[in-house]
Amino acid sequence: MIATIVHTDELLQTIAASVIAGIGVTFAFSVGIWGAGQFIELSRNERPVAATAALAMGGLALACVAASIVIGIIVMTSK
Amino acid sequence: MDSDIILVLVIGTALAFDFTNGFHDTANVVATSISTGAARPSVAIGFAAILNFVGAFISISVAATVAKDVVDAEIITPTIVFAGLIGAIAWNLITWYFGLPSSSSHALIGGVVGSAVAAVGFDAVITEGLVGKVLIPAVVAPILAFLVAGAAIGLSYRVVGKQRPGIVTRGYQYGQILSGGLLALAHGTNDAQKTMGIITLALIANGSLGADADPPFWVIASAATAIALGTYSGGWRIIKTTGTRIIKMDAAQGFSAQGAGATVILASTHFGFPLSTTHVINGGIMGSGAAKRLSAVRWGVAGNIFVAWLLTLPAAAAIGGLTYGFTRIFGTGALGPILVTLMALSLVVAAFARRAQRGAPVTAAGG
Repeated sequence: MIATIVHTDELLQTIAASVIAGIGVTFAFSVGIWGAGQFIELSRNERPVAATAALAMGGLALACVAASIVIGIIVMTSK
Repeated sequence: MDSDIILVLVIGTALAFDFTNGFHDTANVVATSISTGAARPSVAIGFAAILNFVGAFISISVAATVAKDVVDAEIITPTIVFAGLIGAIAWNLITWYFGLPSSSSHALIGGVVGSAVAAVGFDAVITEGLVGKVLIPAVVAPILAFLVAGAAIGLSYRVVGKQRPGIVTRGYQYGQILSGGLLALAHGTNDAQKTMGIITLALIANGSLGADADPPFWVIASAATAIALGTYSGGWRIIKTTGTRIIKMDAAQGFSAQGAGATVILASTHFGFPLSTTHVINGGIMGSGAAKRLSAVRWGVAGNIFVAWLLTLPAAAAIGGLTYGFTRIFGTGALGPILVTLMALSLVVAAFARRAQRGAPVTAAGG
C-alpha cells in the first residue's frame, strides 16, 4: 500500500538521475576548467606535451558535459 | 452557456496565474547568474524567457499529473477548478504582500484540492496521486537539490582548488550561462505544465475533452507564452533574495546550485512530479553555501521558506474551499464566478496600489 502511494521506483530513479547528472556534470565541467588552467600553466613552463594532455583531458570532460545535456534532453522529449 | 462562461474565466485566470508564476520565478532562474556576474540582468532575463517558452513544449507528464492524478476529473466541475485557482492566486497575493517566499505550485494544487473537497467531499481527492506525486516529492526534491549541490561544489573545489582564481571564476561564469539556461528550460518544463494541467482539467470537467485526453496544442502554446511573457516582465524587485540574501556566492557555487536545481527539476518532470521550483532552486543555493561554510547560509531566510512551505497547501485549500462556498451562494451558474473574478481583480489592484505606496518587500516567491 505504502509502496503504491510513494511511487518508490520513480522516486529512486529521480534521485539516481539527479545525483549522477548533478554531481557528474559539475565534476566534468570542473575538470574542463582544470584542463584549461593546467594548459596555460604548463605552456608557460614550456612543457608542451603535458600541456596538450591537460588540454585534451579538459576537452574530453567538456565533451562529456555536452553529451550529458543532449542525452538528458532526448530522454525528456522521448517520453 | 453558463458552463462556457466559467470555462473562459478559468482559462483566463489560469493564464494570468501562469504569467505571475513566470514573473515571480524570474528571480529563481536568473538571480545566481546575475549575482556572480555571469550575465547582465537584461540578457539573463531575455535568455530565461526564451528557454521557459521552449521548456514548456518538451514534456506533458506534469500536466497529466495535475489534470488526472490529484483530483477525480470525472466529478470535478469548471467552478471547482475556478475556485481552486482563486484560492491559489489569493494565497500568492497574501504571501507576496507580507513578503513570505511561498510556492505557486503548492498553492495551485492546494487550492484545487480545497475547492474539490468543499464541493464533493474527500472522495474527489486521489490520495495516491496527491501524496505520492505531490507531497512526497515536495519534501524530497529540495533536500535532494541541497545534497547534490553540496556534493557537487565540494568536488569542484577539490578539482580546481589549486588553479588561478581568474580562470576558475571566468570558467564557471561561462558555465553559468549553460546551467542558467538549463534551469530556465527546467522551470518552463515543470511550471508551465501545471497551468496546462489545470486548463486541461477544466476542459475535461466541461466535457470539452475526454477524461484521458492530453493537453491540446493551443493549451501548451498559450501556457508557454504566458510563462515566457511573465518571465520577461521581470520580477526585478525579487531578484535580490535568491541571489544574495540566502548566501553570498561565487561563480562555482552558482554553477553547482543551478546545475543541481536543473537536474532535480528535469528528472522529476520526466516522472510527472509537479514540484515547487522555488524550493528546489533555493535548496540548491543553500546546499552550495552550506558545503563551503554552514554559517554562510542565512538560515533565517531558509526558515521563512520552510514556514511558507508548511502553510501553503492548507491555506490555499481553505481559501479555495471558501471561494467555492461563496460561488454556490449564487447558485450553480456563472454569476458566482463572475462576482468572484470582479472581487479578485479589485483586490489585486488594491494590493498592488498599497504595496506600491509602501514599497515592495524583497522576497522570492513562486513555483
